[in-house]
Amino acid sequence: MSLLAILGVLSSAIFSGTSLLYTTLGETLHQRAGIVNLGLEGIMLISAATGYRVAVETGNPYIGILVAMIVGGLTNMIIGFLVVTRKANQLASGLATMFFGFGLSALIGRDYVGVRITPLPRIPFPGTANLPLLFASLFRFDFLIYLVIPVAVLIWWLLFRTRWGLGLRAVGENADTAFASGRNPFWIKYQALGIGGMLAGLGAAHLSIAYTMNWSQFMTGGRGFIAVALVIFSKWHPLRAIGGALLFSGAVAFQLMLQSSGVRVSPFLLDTIPYLITLLVLIIWGGTRKHAAPASLGRVYQGGQQ
Amino acid sequence: MKSKIFLILAILITSALLVTACQPAVEEPVVEEPVVEEPVVEEPDVEEPVEEPVVEEPEEEEVVVEEPVEEDEGPCLIIGALHGGPITDAGYNQAMHESVMTIKENIPCVEIIVAENVPEEAGATSTMVNMIQQGAGMIIATAFNHQYPAIELAEQNPDVIFQHAGGWELRDNFGNFFTEPPDTWYMMGVAAGLMTETNKLGFVGAFPLGWTNTFINSFTLGAQSVNESVETIVAFTFDWGDSAKEADATNSLINQGVDVITMHVDSPATVISTAESRGAYSIGFQNLAAQDYAPEYWISGIGHTLGGTLTWLTSNVIDGTWEPIFLRCGIGAGCMAMAPFGPNVPQEVQDQVLEVKDAIVDGELTVFAGPIFDQEGTERVAEGEELPVAMMGSVDWYVQGVIGSPQ
Repeated sequence: MSLLAILGVLSSAIFSGTSLLYTTLGETLHQRAGIVNLGLEGIMLISAATGYRVAVETGNPYIGILVAMIVGGLTNMIIGFLVVTRKANQLASGLATMFFGFGLSALIGRDYVGVRITPLPRIPFPGTANLPLLFASLFRFDFLIYLVIPVAVLIWWLLFRTRWGLGLRAVGENADTAFASGRNPFWIKYQALGIGGMLAGLGAAHLSIAYTMNWSQFMTGGRGFIAVALVIFSKWHPLRAIGGALLFSGAVAFQLMLQSSGVRVSPFLLDTIPYLITLLVLIIWGGTRKHAAPASLGRVYQGGQQ
Repeated sequence: MKSKIFLILAILITSALLVTACQPAVEEPVVEEPVVEEPVVEEPDVEEPVEEPVVEEPEEEEVVVEEPVEEDEGPCLIIGALHGGPITDAGYNQAMHESVMTIKENIPCVEIIVAENVPEEAGATSTMVNMIQQGAGMIIATAFNHQYPAIELAEQNPDVIFQHAGGWELRDNFGNFFTEPPDTWYMMGVAAGLMTETNKLGFVGAFPLGWTNTFINSFTLGAQSVNESVETIVAFTFDWGDSAKEADATNSLINQGVDVITMHVDSPATVISTAESRGAYSIGFQNLAAQDYAPEYWISGIGHTLGGTLTWLTSNVIDGTWEPIFLRCGIGAGCMAMAPFGPNVPQEVQDQVLEVKDAIVDGELTVFAGPIFDQEGTERVAEGEELPVAMMGSVDWYVQGVIGSPQ
């Protein structure tokens, strides 16, 4: 196991963890406002496909990323309409949106499978530019990667250091109390969904436009659900989500590294490592007394006036 | 109460949208009026592949297509072609789609109905029934799991000819066809073995299936034939299309010192463009178009070019001489082709690879000729014997020099 292989795991963890982290941050906002959004997988697929298509058509990856963000936010409005305005069941609405996303994204991306795009420029991480090419190429990141930790800090600051964040968390804990103190839970939930959807769209754009430079059907491979698990994993905290996303994508990269270093263990078994780690952490977390879950998570808010 | 009604309504609308979006896109049949100006003389195109493709039917003589066009009537034959994935994937489905569309170029009077994205059996059955109702006299099913749905329909529709890609079953009106990739993988192995500087080759696979393992073995044997110290490192993604994992796997292999990458996944786009961005050489499989992703570090690639064979089968259906055969044809018969070499491949390497290609075309080279030992040193093919084709689909061992676990 060479130094390059170990650094490689770190590099892969950062590359594939970025889209996961954006999405997890989005879901953290949803859940802090009391909404479990199981539609993320579909929203990511729609954003990835639309963003990719726009990036191909305009020849400009930045416009593609912008569109993917907007599309993510707008698609989340479907869920918003269902669960906030229509007061529908959150799990059913999320799953329906997910299946809707499977179909719609396949349609949007249909003629764009395997079409080439202009990649995002990759900027060397400070101090790594003079390393040998094989090492240096591990640490040349696109701007979305550099941006992801500041975004996580920003979300933390918004949630825990601003009045807006206080209102959002209050809605997630007890929407009636929030309403009594002069907030509008409906409006706040829509805001959380809008911003969260944009973050998920950003994550999806990183996946298709920046990292894999490719669109293929079902390309998110369950990352929308992993993000939901990571929110619980990080106890609804944006900064802990950084660790969660890195740990999960690091585990994927680690098992691939084990495979390619010739460990004589069945690859079927190695492929389960990331999920085993997730289970393990959930077991450990499950034992602690303090639950950080928003109190009215998943509950339908019936409105302030009785 | 009202909200429940709305919920049900919303779910219904969403599922309706979903169902329409997921519907396999059956393209409107391309009805072209048969071109009257040049009705006959399609022979030159059709004749060429006829020489070799028949493997199990040695007595087959040269078949020439006489008057394939019946002017003034409708299409001489309606062909329904269905594919498991999108026909623009730069991979297997696109290669098969292009092969099917070659029939139309060679025999203009046929009409082709194309359905893509038909991954599962139930969808395949309904798609084929739909095609038969539209008058299809021949069905070409190219996904592996279309075989049994197609056989079922073949028994119900004795007048319709079914051709399946990659299967092994035969019925009165059900034949199969495919290429012989293992030989060409050997050829690509030679190229890789000559190009590598680190003596480490990388293979990104979706699943450790029998055929994938055979490709890996063949690739490695080819590389070892020109470079004794070469190793092939294998990484599996357990998904035919998880691009991010493919990129991770490619990076992971390169970080182990691999400098030539190849793959067996649905679309080669991500693996090849990732290798290119890391400065590693790549070798393509399935579709020749994969070269576009690696302008600089492309070595070569192999793809399915079954147009000639399918044209020949179609002409047999039209003139009533079609028989169910187990058809496998290789690069010698034009069923597979090699992509052009990349700009960084030296002339000596090109010459050596082309020599091997000639040996394969002339039938002088047997890839899996014994003795062949697996990773543990167990003899898998004895001296003087060779691995039968029927066994290649169920190989669960790797030759010596492959790093990785096959199960």
